[in-house]
Amino acid sequence: MIKKLKSHEAILVTLLIAEFLFFNATGRRFATIDNLFNIVRHSVEIGLLALVMTPIILTGGIDLSIGSTLGLCAILFGKLWRDAGLPPWAAAIGAILVGGACGLLNGALITQLRLPPLIVTLGTFSLFRGLAEAITRGVDAFTNFPESFLFLGSGQILGVPTQAWILLAVAILIWLIVHRTVLGRSFRAIGFSSEGARYAGLPVERRILFCYVLAGLVAGIASLTYTARLGTAKADAGYGYELLAITAVVLGGTSIFGGIGSVHGAMLGVAALAVLNNGLTRVPAVMNIASELSGVLTGALLLSALALGTLPKHLAAWRARRHISLH
Amino acid sequence: MKRHFRELSVLAALLLMLLVLALFTPNFYEPQPLLSRLTAAAPKLILACGAALIIISRQIDISIGSLFAVCGTCAGLLAAAKIPFAFAIAAAIGIGAIGGAINGALVAGLGLPSIVVTLATMVTLREALRLAQQGVFINLPEGAQWFGLAMKPGQSFICAVALAVLVVLAFATKHLAAGRFIYAVGSDAEAARLAGIRPRAITFAVFVLMGALAGLAAVLNMAQSPQVDPNSGRGLELEAIAAAVVGGVAVSGGRGKLWGVLIGLLLLVCIGPALTYAGVKPYWEKAIQGAIILLAVVADGLRSSARKGLFD
Repeated sequence: MIKKLKSHEAILVTLLIAEFLFFNATGRRFATIDNLFNIVRHSVEIGLLALVMTPIILTGGIDLSIGSTLGLCAILFGKLWRDAGLPPWAAAIGAILVGGACGLLNGALITQLRLPPLIVTLGTFSLFRGLAEAITRGVDAFTNFPESFLFLGSGQILGVPTQAWILLAVAILIWLIVHRTVLGRSFRAIGFSSEGARYAGLPVERRILFCYVLAGLVAGIASLTYTARLGTAKADAGYGYELLAITAVVLGGTSIFGGIGSVHGAMLGVAALAVLNNGLTRVPAVMNIASELSGVLTGALLLSALALGTLPKHLAAWRARRHISLH
Repeated sequence: MKRHFRELSVLAALLLMLLVLALFTPNFYEPQPLLSRLTAAAPKLILACGAALIIISRQIDISIGSLFAVCGTCAGLLAAAKIPFAFAIAAAIGIGAIGGAINGALVAGLGLPSIVVTLATMVTLREALRLAQQGVFINLPEGAQWFGLAMKPGQSFICAVALAVLVVLAFATKHLAAGRFIYAVGSDAEAARLAGIRPRAITFAVFVLMGALAGLAAVLNMAQSPQVDPNSGRGLELEAIAAAVVGGVAVSGGRGKLWGVLIGLLLLVCIGPALTYAGVKPYWEKAIQGAIILLAVVADGLRSSARKGLFD
């Protein structure tokens, strides 16, 4: 299994290098420090969401509502700051707590009522986004944030974009949880067989609840870097990010059926998507259609990664069949 | 009575809603606005029937809104190029079936989870459509709207087609072997396989049928206006799933009736005017839709965990 993951990461690194060489040859001002920082700034939110999507998918679940959670948190951050008159740091804590509450709702419905995660988070996908739209009446936008808050999105600390430090800190935390603790090992056990994990004495419900609450809290943090980067909070914040996060996780070698996967793989997946997304805007021939094209390519990448992921299983089944027919 | 408890309770809610509307907003029942409202819901009924079959077979398809837009745009382009309208209709249904076959091949052939597959095809189709059409509306030729009929017969025709699809599918799922196979696969694929049913073939067929229904729904939608909007169909997958789930289709698969889907959809159609009367603004629509899906699955979840408590 370790060998297989390693080979998966080798493929991703090759893909990254290929993307880099291709865009360096065809794009304008692609391989510059400025653009590198640009890529990092734009990938922080998707990186944060992919980091917390990994434990969820490891347990065999899925969270489709994570982009909508980001949107709702961004709107409530704006609301708390502008209309309730809270200082930005207090509003930020409020937004993160709202994210945690969103995750709690998902997790409680999934674990207490034993509902399938996909239908629960499909419902909250619509509910959270709808609440964001209702609060802003579909048109309101929050702008004119103070400089001290915008620093989070456009400033630098030690020569590196501010939000990159947040991503790094969360990444190290989640990596340690998933790869170096019993808690992280239990996610894989649950994804491999939740009944088996239950018989082994694991508190399956609490562990799954933990994953969804963590996802909500981190989506709240992502809403802050998103708002600070763009300087506005609108109801469509983070639209479609759930797909990007899931794609990054699956590209990174995490099995969509749960049980197998890694955090560093997901980070490589985020990098591959971010370079693709940014590179297309630098190639003169497709500059004007870059967003549509990168959407199509992202979907196609996800489908091919999923299909390739099942290849070893189908090969093994085919070999077994041949083996039987030979004897 | 007990077997139909879930559907009957939704029917009771619908009747209550109709009564409330009759008392407070009598103009809801004026024939022409009512017919227009039902006509607008007709494509959704077809999508909801497809979504119900998908959910009964224990899958999900969230790409149908995008597929709907692709089919509508293709049919519109063909009709605008002066190709006979019947051919454009056939093309829309065919393209839908091909899209469904792609989903079906990935889900049934490779054994991938339908939620992720259709999430990917939803975005890929939508972005490809944006790439190809750049959001430009298509003007339909004279005589395409209402299938060349006058407005009122056209509306009645559209409603009749949708109802006919519902009746055929309801009959097929109740009385034909192929229809019962869908329930068998949805309640226990392994048991179905041991009983001689091929679960993967059934799953594939249901996805193809869903695609074809999305094409038909797109045609019925296209015939209602003089233009085709390439951005149409956003969020339709949620409306279709909501109608199916509210109408008593269990998200755990293997249970649900198509006439229940009709009741579920009618209930959702009535909620709009009722909320408007109650003074709720339209920007609440999406949140309410999400809440309805959650309420319906929570109700089912509570019922099934109550049953579990009795027999565990």
